[in-house]
Amino acid sequence: MSDADVRVQIYRDFISTGRAPSATALAETMGVAVDEIRASLERLASTRTLALQPESREILFAAPLSAVPTPYVVHARSQSFFAPCAWDAFGIIGMLKTDGSIETSCPCCGEGMSVEVRDGAPLAHTGLVHFALPARQWWDNIVFT
Amino acid sequence: MLLFRDEEHIDRWCAHWSQPRGATLTIENVWRLAQRWYSNKMNPDWRRFTPDEAQGVLTGLELTGPFWSLR
Repeated sequence: MSDADVRVQIYRDFISTGRAPSATALAETMGVAVDEIRASLERLASTRTLALQPESREILFAAPLSAVPTPYVVHARSQSFFAPCAWDAFGIIGMLKTDGSIETSCPCCGEGMSVEVRDGAPLAHTGLVHFALPARQWWDNIVFT
Repeated sequence: MLLFRDEEHIDRWCAHWSQPRGATLTIENVWRLAQRWYSNKMNPDWRRFTPDEAQGVLTGLELTGPFWSLR
């Protein structure tokens, strides 16, 4: 079992269920000890391939997917996913190479917003994505970013 | 990276939270960026972009200048 195998299994489970697999579930699926999975998750986090929750060390993000609820809900392939940010919300649909939709609300006023992507293009043409941090700082605090 | 209704709402949000104004992209440009960034993510042979490759993705979308520099 390589770290790449674990990474691929994480995405397979995420896409098929809409939820991040736990370390225990990954161990059962892959037929290895949970300690091996946890060690692999730590290595993948150390290379910023994914991010882990601070205490449980379960998956937090496997970009563009979030394991925890966020303001960005993506519907695609008959599943619903959470995305860490607006960029990643579009990233889920791009990664799956499918039609999809994004539901969120304006962080300023709370008005609901939705964007559909069909046939490889977004249908909505209103709305702007604000990048608060310059690119070189994106990974300094990925949760804030 | 947050999705706002328009420029005015970005300005109000930045003022409320005392955040400096960053850069804004249209939905179409974010979609193009997201496609290029994540299209290969489920491939078993996926690997992280090198810094040059990542910069190339940004440059390819005409995201240039100090704000978009990864170094």
